[in-house]
Amino acid sequence: MNLARSFPLFAIVFAAAYAILYVVAVEYNLALFTYHPALEEFGFLVEKPKEGPAMYWYGWMATSALGAFAVAAIASWLPAGWARRVWTGWSWAVPLAVMLVFGYLLRGFFIR
Amino acid sequence: MIVVLLIIHALLAVTLLGAITHQTISVWLPARKAAGSFVGRMRAVPATSYANAIVVLYLATATLGAIIYPSYRLTVRVVLQQLEMYAANGAFELKEHFVAVGLGMLPAYWYFWRQPLASDYARTRAVLTALLAFVVWWSFLVGHILNNIRGFEV
Repeated sequence: MNLARSFPLFAIVFAAAYAILYVVAVEYNLALFTYHPALEEFGFLVEKPKEGPAMYWYGWMATSALGAFAVAAIASWLPAGWARRVWTGWSWAVPLAVMLVFGYLLRGFFIR
Repeated sequence: MIVVLLIIHALLAVTLLGAITHQTISVWLPARKAAGSFVGRMRAVPATSYANAIVVLYLATATLGAIIYPSYRLTVRVVLQQLEMYAANGAFELKEHFVAVGLGMLPAYWYFWRQPLASDYARTRAVLTALLAFVVWWSFLVGHILNNIRGFEV
């Protein structure tokens, strides 16, 4: 199977951008949509809980995926020379850092 | 219906756990000679052959988890809060975020495991695999523990 030459850069940038956008989306509640499980209803963007809790997790992932796709698509247009210089390790280093950030943000659950 | 989906979710998770554990061990502790023992054979598996299956299983398990998540939110999380089981609650919060971050790594993981394997990417491939393995193990154990806490509503 032939892949576009730009796919490696797309994949690296997507992994890094998605992780960053996800933690930002969670921290600032930038959900693309809200799900109300008790009502089985979706709402556009962030909505307050109606009956029962509101779920933003799906919306956070959608926000991050769309944003990361856009960033990675733009990065794919970089000249080949620049693209070759991008460290492949960003694809794991940024997600790892974001996971550690979540550990820090949620520490209150474990140190009560 | 939720119980059926939960069991399928668990079965997919077990399959994913087995696949990614084999791949991680074979990448980080490759067999240097012909494998004779159980552990030796585990180290000697062809790691590349697991990559596509892991991507499909990760997506399937996460999708099914997302489908049953509302039920958790309505029935299990409330109980955890009432019982003041903060660590269990927090462990699940971490699980949802780790799984989400893992989803974003899948395109890169898939690319770096494409045949023929580029030796330049060996480190990246190994670390991506280990990180996904951590996410899968964390998610599996947390899901299992929470299921034990709540049990089935019979």
